[in-house]
Amino acid sequence: MTEFAADAAGSAGRIYQEAIKALANDATGHGALVAPDGRAFIDNPLCGDCVEMEVNVAGNRIAALAHHVKGCLLCRAAASVIGKRAVGARVEEVEKISTGVSAMLEREAPPPAGWHELSAFAPVHGHRSRYDCVRLPFQALLAALRAAGEQR
Amino acid sequence: MKWVLYERLRAATAAGTSCAVVTRLADGAQAFFDGARWEGAVDLTDAQRAAVRRMLVAGRSGMLPGEQDLFVRSYARAPRLIVVGAAHISQFLAPMATLAGFEVIVIDPRRAFASAERFPGVTLVDEWPDTALERLKPDVTTAVVTLTHDPKLDDPALIAALRSPAFYVGALGSTRTHAKRVARLTEAGLGDRVARIHAPVGLDLGGRAPCEIAVSILSQVIQVRYRGEAA
Repeated sequence: MTEFAADAAGSAGRIYQEAIKALANDATGHGALVAPDGRAFIDNPLCGDCVEMEVNVAGNRIAALAHHVKGCLLCRAAASVIGKRAVGARVEEVEKISTGVSAMLEREAPPPAGWHELSAFAPVHGHRSRYDCVRLPFQALLAALRAAGEQR
Repeated sequence: MKWVLYERLRAATAAGTSCAVVTRLADGAQAFFDGARWEGAVDLTDAQRAAVRRMLVAGRSGMLPGEQDLFVRSYARAPRLIVVGAAHISQFLAPMATLAGFEVIVIDPRRAFASAERFPGVTLVDEWPDTALERLKPDVTTAVVTLTHDPKLDDPALIAALRSPAFYVGALGSTRTHAKRVARLTEAGLGDRVARIHAPVGLDLGGRAPCEIAVSILSQVIQVRYRGEAA
């Protein structure tokens, strides 16, 4: 559905496209928690993508998370990476990764260390209107963590 | 009228679902049709059922054409036009369809587009199309048109529309775009229903401006409403 990379970077772009498709199809973390400590819903009014994120937090680490995404391939793939990597992460680490994702998209900085699946999004650099597609799940996760912090 | 049918009729009209009652004049036996399912004591042929459906879609009551003995009473609400996508064409289509007697609902989760300033006097829904259509339940007097330019939003709307009894389903996009769409919807298990989609949407009036495309869409919706799909 989203051929941003294929037209931008030729065959290399298509390889990333396949990686992003695979991540989106995995939909790791899709679902809902029974008793979340924090929950957030964020949407992008320009493209309609929306992410609902739920977290359980134990000792400043993410103990469990679940998300429900309606959106494009990039948004669903980014949420899937969160599903694979964020459980066990400290809140500070999520903040750092989120900043790293923005740097990768906006300034072609190297993908943030540790969450290697995020390198699939490197070719999105230069497609400004798509940056928020990747960032939306991270913003939702941070908002859910803030909500969990306020609960305690 | 049998109590069971009366209850069905009352429930359907209360839910805002157009429906019809067919009475066999010889013995007063009746059948009930809610746009999707039939029940009751009168067995009709497929051709008779199709004819009743056409009358209901058009909001007409009377003797079933060609029959001496079957009276159709349509309980049809004002026809609804559900427009998916608060796009340029929709800005013309929504007021035109309202003037033409349709109840118009515009669905678009892109809140920047679906603003009250751009669509004065129109019911706006900012849910995702699949969620919205599940709630709105397109019935046999509902037309659904997708105009978002984004398969991410058009596809879930078309899937919901094709699973509903909507009398008209149309989708904006070129023949090439539509071929890809048909492939995706077939993969989604709707291969037997994709032929219902009017695409490229609208009558071929030759115009290409958004207001002209709106006229062509509205014309086709009205044509199908009164003339049926064979027109």
